[in-house]
Amino acid sequence: MHKIKQIFIYILLSIFTVISIFPFIWMIISATNKSIDVTKGRLLPGTHLVENIQNLLSTVDLVPALINSATISIATTILSLIIASLAGYGFEIYRSKAKDVVFNILLLSMMIPFAALMIPLFRMFGTISQIAPGIGIDTLTSAMLPSITTAFLIFFFRQNTKMFPRELLEAGRIDGLTELGVFFRIYVPTMKTTYAAAAIITFMASWNNYLWPLVVLQSPENHTIPLLISNLGSSNSPDFGIIMTSIVIATLPTALIFFLLQRHFVAGMMGSVK
Amino acid sequence: MKKLLALIMVSMLLLTACSSGASNSTEPEGGSDSNQITIWAWDPKFNIKAIELAKEAYASENPDLKVNVIENAQDDIVQKLNTSLSSGTTKGLPNIVLIEDYRAKSFLQAYPDMFQPLTGSFETEDFVQYKVEATSVDGENYGLPFDTGVTGLYVRTDYLTEAGFSIEDLQNIDWKEYIEIGKKVKEATGKRLLTIDPNELGILRTMIQSAGKWYVKEDGTTPDLANNEALKLSFEIYKELVDNDLMNFHSDWNQFLATFNGGEVATVTTGNWITPSIKAEASQSGKWAVVPHPSLPGMKSVNASNLGGASWYILDVPGKENAVDFLTKTFGSNVDLYQKLVTEIGVIGTYIPATEGEAYKTEDEFFGGQSIISDFSKWAEEIPQVNYGMHTYAIEDILIVAMQNYLGGQDLDKVLEDAQQQAETQIK
Amino acid sequence: MIPATTKQNIQPKPRKYNNKFRLKNGLIGWAFISIATVMICLFYFYPMVQALILSFQSGAGTNLQFVGLDNYLRLFTDPAFIAALKNTVIYLIIQVPVMIIFALFISVLLNNKKLKLKGFFRTAIFLPCITSLVAYSVVFKYLFATDGIINKMLINVSLISEPIQWLTDPFWAKVTIIIAITWRWTGYNMIFYLSALQNVDHSIYEAAKIDGANAFQQFFKITIPMLKPIILFTSITSTIGTLQLFDEVMNITKGGPGNATITISQYIYNLSFKYTPDFGYAATVSYAIVIMIVVFSIIQFKVAGDKNA
Repeated sequence: MHKIKQIFIYILLSIFTVISIFPFIWMIISATNKSIDVTKGRLLPGTHLVENIQNLLSTVDLVPALINSATISIATTILSLIIASLAGYGFEIYRSKAKDVVFNILLLSMMIPFAALMIPLFRMFGTISQIAPGIGIDTLTSAMLPSITTAFLIFFFRQNTKMFPRELLEAGRIDGLTELGVFFRIYVPTMKTTYAAAAIITFMASWNNYLWPLVVLQSPENHTIPLLISNLGSSNSPDFGIIMTSIVIATLPTALIFFLLQRHFVAGMMGSVK
Repeated sequence: MKKLLALIMVSMLLLTACSSGASNSTEPEGGSDSNQITIWAWDPKFNIKAIELAKEAYASENPDLKVNVIENAQDDIVQKLNTSLSSGTTKGLPNIVLIEDYRAKSFLQAYPDMFQPLTGSFETEDFVQYKVEATSVDGENYGLPFDTGVTGLYVRTDYLTEAGFSIEDLQNIDWKEYIEIGKKVKEATGKRLLTIDPNELGILRTMIQSAGKWYVKEDGTTPDLANNEALKLSFEIYKELVDNDLMNFHSDWNQFLATFNGGEVATVTTGNWITPSIKAEASQSGKWAVVPHPSLPGMKSVNASNLGGASWYILDVPGKENAVDFLTKTFGSNVDLYQKLVTEIGVIGTYIPATEGEAYKTEDEFFGGQSIISDFSKWAEEIPQVNYGMHTYAIEDILIVAMQNYLGGQDLDKVLEDAQQQAETQIK
Repeated sequence: MIPATTKQNIQPKPRKYNNKFRLKNGLIGWAFISIATVMICLFYFYPMVQALILSFQSGAGTNLQFVGLDNYLRLFTDPAFIAALKNTVIYLIIQVPVMIIFALFISVLLNNKKLKLKGFFRTAIFLPCITSLVAYSVVFKYLFATDGIINKMLINVSLISEPIQWLTDPFWAKVTIIIAITWRWTGYNMIFYLSALQNVDHSIYEAAKIDGANAFQQFFKITIPMLKPIILFTSITSTIGTLQLFDEVMNITKGGPGNATITISQYIYNLSFKYTPDFGYAATVSYAIVIMIVVFSIIQFKVAGDKNA
């Protein structure tokens, strides 16, 4: 009985896997084919991978764009996690009516489509440029500033904090830890999986962020990967082999980060901490 | 606590590192530098290459000016330009920008005073007239005409032969004749006549422009849908193509290319910029020819029309004098440059003196030895000029719904009447 | 609005500290949330107020004029907006519950301690949300083309006799979009559940097993109640995500055929960038989303409404 159940689970998961992975595989296969074969929907691996990579490297500055994207994404992820977890923790552990009101107001910021904020934001950065050009328009900092703090992530940390066993905090306080000490020594290590999940989604969002970097980054040397890929497709006769190759390269870092961090999703970890 | 501090320090370092690095490298980009201009354009294989050639030509005589070409997709340029211009922040704006003809008036009128007038800076009579109209507002010229989207009918000669037609049978035909030929070709070869994206009515635009009509009246603002005979006829022709199963539908660019590269359709009716994509399938060499665009039957309509095309505009930011000089000395007057544009890229310009050049007469083996460039340039001069106005895409989205309703069986007059009403309330 | 609803839910935990400690505690609490609050005020609320002012203006580009409530009234007679609103609500009602159930189900399967290849399965199911939109839209259009693989399969197993017009029929195009969103975001929501499931004490399941609870009972009696805060989180964020849906529609159908799949966000994009820009009216449409989301959030908070939510 148990055996059958296990097999059933594997079959089910395999079906989900095939459905999920198919376009990804197709993308990788396409990276090995000539453009004309990609447009014809060829499903077999080809022999043009090296050629596509060479063409890609010769047509665009891939490496600087990768470095820009990595810098923005890593800095955004680190800062986001710190700021949002502090806030999520603060809102839940030191809950008060006033803070709940503030929290709900902050949630409002998620609800407006970003397109509506773009022009006022751009005007704001125009002003910033005059005061502090180092963080104004056309700097990597300007591309990341608006996305460092999101209500989404604060909300996520707050909801997870609700499941956090408060006895642990009391124990820490009795041991003489300061409030910040309790946060860093007890909360952060216990919530590792939450941080892992938050890191994955923040990195992914930042890595793929398109609209704001597009508007605010003007010089080619500041371009990020999504902007570069968008440029590749701007032709009336785009080379899909090159585009697919660039997409595969652009996707790998996020996939890798997910694969590395998902190991922290170990069942029943909280039990062992307790 | 220490960990936090360390993390914050690291992030701050990253932040300052990239911001200082970025600001260092971007300083020379600003339009304020007197010996630099920046240009935004899209399509690395076409417009970007063209501007690089222009840059070369200009540098031989004016080596002091540094020209930075920045490549962005067209939609991206539209977004960036709109965001910058509407926020009133000129920082980061280029000196020269490429804008599609259908959108030009929208930019020029939505952001008055942001573009540099070019009237008198170059000889407008030397350019194809429809193009001059497309780049002007209230008699003032703002753009230097670039490529033409002159349309042609790309045909598969082998399919035509199979159905008993020769190229001569397709010269200067109208849409009704085209449909009749299409029926026979389909009978003989099983191939549909053409392929279109139902979400984009470019074909309708080419039909009405060949009759000197547009979605708006000559003033550029009054919607001209309900009593527009050319539009009405175009709707009927479209439906006839659908009803006779002569139309293949694709839903994206990729499928569009695959359809004709794969030999699925007998003809392609679109702008001349599709030539490189047609030629991408080398095995079809010699099987293609280009004939004049079909005209609208029973009304004043020519065998020439336009789809797409763009022109260069100068923004009113520091450095504009250099930008004007650059454009007028290259695309504005350099005949040799236009020869190179043809031979090296396949860009067909709209500068009339250039068409006498040798490069325009080159015979193309892929098209059975036809001098397609010279043919296209000849047709380009016949394109009727219309005022594209500010609302081409807004009205077209209304018409896409109207077309759905018409194909679904609703009365054509009523469909267009509704569209007219909707356009009038939406467009201000 | 939201503040009012959650206020009712608050039942402050009894505190055993004295007043002085409470004051100090309160200040520390504010310190914890201060950076985030300042940043959001700066980068969200300031532009939001500007956008609100803009929503009372109309005109092409920079030629804006105050028009009072005209923009808001225009919404009611704008067929494109009404179509977008209808479509968005349809996506929301059908897609969000389906996706959440799928994500929960898969994450529970993947949380199995004895499962082999866990990392592989998880990564595979997560992949759709990082697969580039360009690749994804091309693949989807191939799969769902009239002579595409999906139709061929369905015809082979005799489920249908005529090929379905997945992309060009108004009804089926909506279905395609719903499939596309579900495909792309199920794995994404799965992460939240997977990470939250780690915080569920495993001994509870052990105890339940001893008491003879089967898998379904465990799922409904333990997993769901324990994950309630995260289920609330994902349903609210998915609702917001769907109401702001843009990428999938833009890349697969462009809103067609004839507005059959257009969404509010895509309409905002069209108004701002595809047509001659009317940023005033675009801001009005954006605020229409805000109002709708607030209403939906109140409903969701109420449905989930208990003190832990």
